[in-house]
Amino acid sequence: MAAEKDNSAVLTFLRGLTLLKQGAEARVYRGEFLGKPVIVKERFRKEYRHPTLDEKLTHRRTVQEVRSVLRCRKAGISTPVVYFVDYTSHCVFLEDIVGSVTVRDHVNSAQRSETGRGGLEALAGKIGQILARMHDEDVIHGDLTTSNMLLRGRPESGEPDLVLIDFGLSYASALPEDKGVDLYVLEKAFLSTHPNTEALFDALLKSYTAASKKSSAVIGKLNEVRLRGRKRSMVG
Amino acid sequence: MLPAVSEMHQSQQLDLFPGYSVTQCLFKDVRNAAELRKSAVGGEIQGALINPSMIVVAANKAFHLQKVGKMKTRSLYSEVIFNLSPTNNISESFKKFGIADNDNTVLIVLIHSKEDEYYIDDIRSKIDGEQIPVELISTLSDVPKIKKLYKVTAQEDCVGTLLEAVLCRMAVKDVL
Repeated sequence: MAAEKDNSAVLTFLRGLTLLKQGAEARVYRGEFLGKPVIVKERFRKEYRHPTLDEKLTHRRTVQEVRSVLRCRKAGISTPVVYFVDYTSHCVFLEDIVGSVTVRDHVNSAQRSETGRGGLEALAGKIGQILARMHDEDVIHGDLTTSNMLLRGRPESGEPDLVLIDFGLSYASALPEDKGVDLYVLEKAFLSTHPNTEALFDALLKSYTAASKKSSAVIGKLNEVRLRGRKRSMVG
Repeated sequence: MLPAVSEMHQSQQLDLFPGYSVTQCLFKDVRNAAELRKSAVGGEIQGALINPSMIVVAANKAFHLQKVGKMKTRSLYSEVIFNLSPTNNISESFKKFGIADNDNTVLIVLIHSKEDEYYIDDIRSKIDGEQIPVELISTLSDVPKIKKLYKVTAQEDCVGTLLEAVLCRMAVKDVL
């Protein structure tokens, strides 16, 4: 084996994969790894940042992402499996949830049909339950949107499995304020992506309140945060 | 002379390192475990493995860390053993996953390039035992023991398989 350090293997491997999307933060690829379908998330260098800062931030985000994934799994929340992390290129190799659809796409298509809409309330309840469990574990997702929730069909039980993804902005916190903000982010994303779903989101919050042991403080903070938002008057 | 039992071993290419593969050979009724431990080819303890892909993932991580010069242990094979452990305690990982003198089921793991395939027969001849198909690892798994070893929670059981729980811990343990 060569004695010099060589960290090009992962980057070379990535060139053979399909690029799914490129965000401001990372590039996401799809491919096969050790016989399994995978998603590789590459947090690339940001040239506009000071290099030391960039390295620290990128490393921290990678670390927080994988830590949160494991914490959620231990708490019984479905997340992709982490297969491998390369801390030199900041790449995370995750399970590709094959045959899944984002909650976003599901809600959009379900809203168009009468029968679809019926099932949405149950889905909202499920989301509320899972978020309650996550917050009870003191995990803040940080980027809750319906695009970051997948529905994976489970043939045995018939009911689809809700999988949370993209924990890049997640962190640990017990503060109701942080949990409230987490829900607020979801509320904003939800209502802007899916028009006329206020009742649905209400059902989500109801389910969250019922499922979480610490919900009253969180909902209290959520209401406070709502009042703080953009174009909101903080008078009286 | 060893019979032609080449179908019993399993090889998986390391996608990140083209040209290299991980080959696993499983042996039962091994009588010379103590000897093997001294030559440290890389044997694992009975009942602690679920299925061959656990080894492949551990081997991939070990090979990668060797390439970037960041191994935690001193050799590639000890690194593979260390990677199987859910904790960052090196000596503990050798105790739990390394070969022990009185083991009679031994898994041999080799990470090699295509040219080094002849190595396999060389190693095989050193084992005083009977080779069996690698897939049989899953029949030897002691599931309750594994759950306890990796501290798999009851809720976790509902969201995925035991293998997934183990693989996730193997991948994430260095930053826990």
